[in-house]
Amino acid sequence: MSLEAFFLPASPGQRFALLHLPEAARQVRAAVVHVHPFAEEMNKSRRMAAVQARAMAATGFAVLQVDLLGCGDSSGDFGDASWEAWLADVELACNWLLRRIDAPLWLWGQRTGCLLANEVANRIPGAVNLLFWQPVLSGRQFLQQFLRLKVAAEIVGGESKGVMQRLRTQLAQGESVEIAGYMLSPALADGLDKAELLLPHRSGRVEWIEVCSRPDAGMSPAAAARLTQWQAAGQHARGMAVHGPAFWQTSEISECPTLLQASLLAMSEAVAT
Amino acid sequence: MDIRGEVVAILDEVLSLKGRASGFSLDTPLLGALPELDSMAVVALITSLEERFAFVVDDDELDGSVFASLSTLIDFVQAKLNV
Repeated sequence: MSLEAFFLPASPGQRFALLHLPEAARQVRAAVVHVHPFAEEMNKSRRMAAVQARAMAATGFAVLQVDLLGCGDSSGDFGDASWEAWLADVELACNWLLRRIDAPLWLWGQRTGCLLANEVANRIPGAVNLLFWQPVLSGRQFLQQFLRLKVAAEIVGGESKGVMQRLRTQLAQGESVEIAGYMLSPALADGLDKAELLLPHRSGRVEWIEVCSRPDAGMSPAAAARLTQWQAAGQHARGMAVHGPAFWQTSEISECPTLLQASLLAMSEAVAT
Repeated sequence: MDIRGEVVAILDEVLSLKGRASGFSLDTPLLGALPELDSMAVVALITSLEERFAFVVDDDELDGSVFASLSTLIDFVQAKLNV
């Protein structure tokens, strides 16, 4: 196994990238591009993503992790990011990896990363397979939850009236708003607001995994309904729930070993068939 | 549905309480009493409740009184489910 850290030339600037490769002698089973989640969720998930990427490389997958514009160690500030720029970054990462690795392409998205992965899969010619970690179904709902951080700060501080309305008005007037230390541009908010997890590219397959805190619980009703809809439309898609912590939002950095195992198994089975 | 059990499990998980939440009584104070319950955690809590119980919270419904104690939080969830 090897790990390369480098900057991928992009527009504007460059993107920080990590490439995990299997042993040189080994045939690469698939080329995987990781699409990270949003803002603080990305920080909370960094460890899980790194552990999973290493585990994938150890079993024969080439994995490219890229920090999107304004995130992590890539160019720009968060406030420079737009939804369209992030889509372009994911597409750039896919093209770069496919030029280097001749293997089937997988997009591995997490949370809002699934929305991006799904949209890019529809733009790329050829088959794209999708691995989803706790996908966000509605960008609108996610945006609402993100803006709510500001409301929550006011609740903890004592008051909360009218905060949400003020934020929405500012965005509608083309102003950026600051939420929990992140500058959110109208271009990012607008793209996220319109993003919806719709039926993907027909030629690929979907491995959809949710994490649930209760050992006996299945997928959330909303996710199960969407998945059933896709299957009915002929999409090759499988869903499952694993037991573990919601590591992308827990107060402390946590790990979810069941998710790591389930992902490896799902991808190995998919590649074998 | 065991609403109290679900709410306690979500509290424990989101706030990384490592099982402490299972010892909470109905009048255990939350906001202001649990240092883990900061603004980030309040949002994570609402989000988890929305996703688990499949309801949508309007931000006008939210103020500190919802998170005052375990019983006020359970009452809030119960009221949302009855709508």
